[in-house]
Amino acid sequence: MEVLALTLMAIAALLSTLATYLAITERDLLTAVIYSALQSTAYAIIFYLLMAPDIVLVYIPVAVGLYPAVFIVLIKKSERYEGG
Amino acid sequence: MKYERALIAAAIIVFILVLSYAVALGAMGAALPPPDLRELAKNYLKLTINPWMRNLTVMSPEAVTAIVWDFRGLDTFFETAVLYLAIIGTVAIYRGVYTSRKTVAEDEEKGGMSPIAKSVTKITLPMVLAVAIAIALHGHLTPGGGFQGGSTAAVILLLVLVVFSLHFSMHKGITKGSMLALRSTGLLGIAVTSVLVLILGLLVGCQAFIFQNQPKAYAPAGLPATLDGMLISGTLILFNIFECLAVAAGLTLTFILVLTHEEEIRSAMKGDKHE
Repeated sequence: MEVLALTLMAIAALLSTLATYLAITERDLLTAVIYSALQSTAYAIIFYLLMAPDIVLVYIPVAVGLYPAVFIVLIKKSERYEGG
Repeated sequence: MKYERALIAAAIIVFILVLSYAVALGAMGAALPPPDLRELAKNYLKLTINPWMRNLTVMSPEAVTAIVWDFRGLDTFFETAVLYLAIIGTVAIYRGVYTSRKTVAEDEEKGGMSPIAKSVTKITLPMVLAVAIAIALHGHLTPGGGFQGGSTAAVILLLVLVVFSLHFSMHKGITKGSMLALRSTGLLGIAVTSVLVLILGLLVGCQAFIFQNQPKAYAPAGLPATLDGMLISGTLILFNIFECLAVAAGLTLTFILVLTHEEEIRSAMKGDKHE
């Protein structure tokens, strides 16, 4: 059981690393926000497996709901594509 | 371009490897997590619900909420204060921006997103609100609490603001004024609850502390742990309810201000619009 939890944690950690890389390199900022939310989802899974359900309950609405929403509003008010 | 991407990938990989190596070597203490419980943790676990030691217990089976609002209540009070200072800062920056124009979009059909999005939001609104209220009200029994419930409620209120357009939400009562009033009610509730037992103690003429919950030795005043057979853990349920109100209303208030049209903000900042 512990091995399964550790394996899932490792997969989630790898997924979050991949999502971080994609979020940094992406030129379309809207897509970058979605990659960032994907990374937060992986972190939520890790928090759950580390037996911190209180953190999961606050992390999901803030990191997957409110935080991308703030960025989407700000992107709408500024520019969607990173210059370069 | 190619070079830059490779550099970013290499930087991430090096950072993770260095961090893992440092943790494996014991950079964050001898072992992570420590193999045995510390004395403080043992005491928290022993006292979080312990009907045989009524002078020391919190009477809440959820140790995290017991620590957050009782054992270390003052810490949480100042955390809440910091969050609300940030929201007050936002309100101060947007001062003079009146977002309550009632002339636009009196009916639901005009403005906002497509009917599909509106129907989905209409169905999910009561469900998410129910979950949020359940998280807040069960904060002293199961994982969760005021902040968790409040931010869940703020997500669906934000969805309503975006999907049904800002002006329609204003028409339905989600305005800057009403959210400010709700938020202030929540904050006032937290402030009053933190000194509630102190006031009770002063009224009956015995010793009491701020952030006191259950009766302690030498301070026999306290709130009841159960209400009609249900466990309410004294002040914890009150703190959770008020925190939920304050967080939901505070975050929604910020979103109302952020979603306000740019032209309205500019004209208010230039000072050519006074109501």
